[in-house]
Amino acid sequence: MKPWPLLLLLPITLLAQDDPWDDEDWGDDDEAAAWAGFIEAGLGTRLHSDPLLDERNTLEEVRWRIESEWQPGAATVSFKADAAYDGIEAGWDAEIRDLTAAFTLAEDYDIKLGRQVQTWGTGDLLFLNDLFPKDFVSFFAGRDDEYLKAAGNAIRVTRFSEMINVDFAWTPVFEPDVYLTGERYSFFSPLAGENIAPRPPLTAVEPDEKPANGEFALRLFRTFESREIALYAYRGFFKQPTALTANLEPTFAPLTAIGASLRQPLGPGLLNVEGSYYRSRDDRDGSDPFVPNDQLRMLAGYEWEARPNFTVGLQYYLEWTGDHSRLIDNSPSPEFEPDEFRHLLTNRLTYRAGRDKHTLSLFTFFSPSDSDFYLRPSYSYRHSDEWSLTAGGNLFGGSDAHTFFSQLQDASNLYLRVRYHY
Amino acid sequence: MPRNLMLALAALSLSTGIHAEVLTDADEVIARADLAAYYGGTDGRSEVRMIITDAQDRQQRRQFTVLRRDVEDAGDQQFLVVFSQPSDVRNTVFLVDKHIDRDDDRWLYLPGLDLVKRISAGDKRTSFVGAHYFYEDVSGRRPSDDSHEFVETTDAFYVLRHTPIDPQSVEFTSYITWIDRNTFLPMKIEYTNPAGNVYRRVEVFGVENVDGHPTVTTSRVSDLLTGGRTDMQFRYIQYDVGLPESVFTERSLRNPPREWLQRPEN
Repeated sequence: MKPWPLLLLLPITLLAQDDPWDDEDWGDDDEAAAWAGFIEAGLGTRLHSDPLLDERNTLEEVRWRIESEWQPGAATVSFKADAAYDGIEAGWDAEIRDLTAAFTLAEDYDIKLGRQVQTWGTGDLLFLNDLFPKDFVSFFAGRDDEYLKAAGNAIRVTRFSEMINVDFAWTPVFEPDVYLTGERYSFFSPLAGENIAPRPPLTAVEPDEKPANGEFALRLFRTFESREIALYAYRGFFKQPTALTANLEPTFAPLTAIGASLRQPLGPGLLNVEGSYYRSRDDRDGSDPFVPNDQLRMLAGYEWEARPNFTVGLQYYLEWTGDHSRLIDNSPSPEFEPDEFRHLLTNRLTYRAGRDKHTLSLFTFFSPSDSDFYLRPSYSYRHSDEWSLTAGGNLFGGSDAHTFFSQLQDASNLYLRVRYHY
Repeated sequence: MPRNLMLALAALSLSTGIHAEVLTDADEVIARADLAAYYGGTDGRSEVRMIITDAQDRQQRRQFTVLRRDVEDAGDQQFLVVFSQPSDVRNTVFLVDKHIDRDDDRWLYLPGLDLVKRISAGDKRTSFVGAHYFYEDVSGRRPSDDSHEFVETTDAFYVLRHTPIDPQSVEFTSYITWIDRNTFLPMKIEYTNPAGNVYRRVEVFGVENVDGHPTVTTSRVSDLLTGGRTDMQFRYIQYDVGLPESVFTERSLRNPPREWLQRPEN
């Protein structure tokens, strides 16, 4: 049935424990590959069932991570992959999160080729100029935070110099976010005017695989004293299937974005400010209701340690939709269109105790304009270098059925994960 | 001042095994102790492993390599810490730009998310990767953060009491340091809490002469309230390896500088 018996294998590896101090083993420094990873069992279940879905659970998996690194010559080859049995999709799933060759050219150029997770920008769980793929399905299900970032096949070239550092990421074949399909969660459909869970699950139409449809992401960055400044540019597509084709199939609209960010100490904490202008290339005047309009996205955040081991992070985020009146005038369902100004406030509270053995965290998204919220409470316990446990919840709510967090009300869940590192 | 510094440094390297004159200025003693403990050579590298033992005698292990570069003796410094053990922190990198005239800049690279996370300035007297060591212990507490006074001078030690200038910023009310009169290395530190109890102790168990620099090779931090402790060993220590400034940048967070992390043949 389910592969829980896999866990019975764990005690075998436990026998390999030894006294770590008396030995003179400082580990190998040669190029020999060391294998590491973890086995994790996770279970998440809805607070109340979703009338559109038979499955009560949001997470039901046993996951095996394996990773290693080799250093042939001056290059570094990294490998990191997961194999998981997913009880909800009733099948095995394998995913490579990292398979890259990294090397340096002409001293100043760092090249990284292959499948990789990439992140930039200053937001905490809010992404403006970071248009690398994200996996919101994992994020909402209660998997580890690292799975919010999905891997993509890319060529990353970074040039370092005194004047300015240049970071360029080319993703030859568009990598969308992992979006809501109706398989694990139902979602709001403006066409239907209510939540749907289509069968077969929704598949969005992806751009044709041709060179011009690749993704080009550029970052110029430099640190002046303690102040980090960056400029960004992106040419590709909206990462979520928010557009519709002529046949009313969901698809990804062409997107060009430019932006900037600043991060620096201020008083006892850290200030971050970021902005990005999203230019919707197929809807320049905002009149096409099936293609997203231009948007200006702004973020300001502040994080500080309010008490020893207790950190507070606050963010204000704005999405300002351009040509909003034209969007409303042309929309077949204006009542479901985004507000001209979507405001979002986030708050992260983190408390660590017992030398980081226990971590209590609460991340809150609250949108005063959409009147919806998303709460992420979690408790992590690190029992040893091998065993750890995380329990938490994803709690959604709101007053209107169509807003982003509100549509996920029936996905609200509690989860528990137990992990063994080897 | 540079000339005095040079003399101090010269005295430092010659002082091993020789009784220098007895110092009577607490600030001078602490300045020399700071140099001895944190500024050996113009740069340095070391591999470090920690065994963290909790009150129930359960152990955890950390292993990492530290690279250090002095911008100026007794002044700004840079640190790069690259983890190799255990597997869940492998390839995590910690970068510190230590400043004398303002708060340190600190970054943590989390490889799973490819995230360069910056750490706020206040967050320094908290556990460093689960150890009884604090973030601040990695790069050293600024002498100017405390006022210093002599408790006594014994045959072997200068014993000093230190009182924080800003008591709100720390969890202790004072601490006492036993500084070796020959090497100027702090050999024992005891911290007193507001209740008046000694609750935290740092002890040095092993010192070796590396390239003419007396260097701590074994130490322990004990939490006297809970009974936990962290033991620390330093190996493969080198001074004056010629680390360039470019090693201490965002580049090294994503792509640790193998050339400089490689274990020396000794």
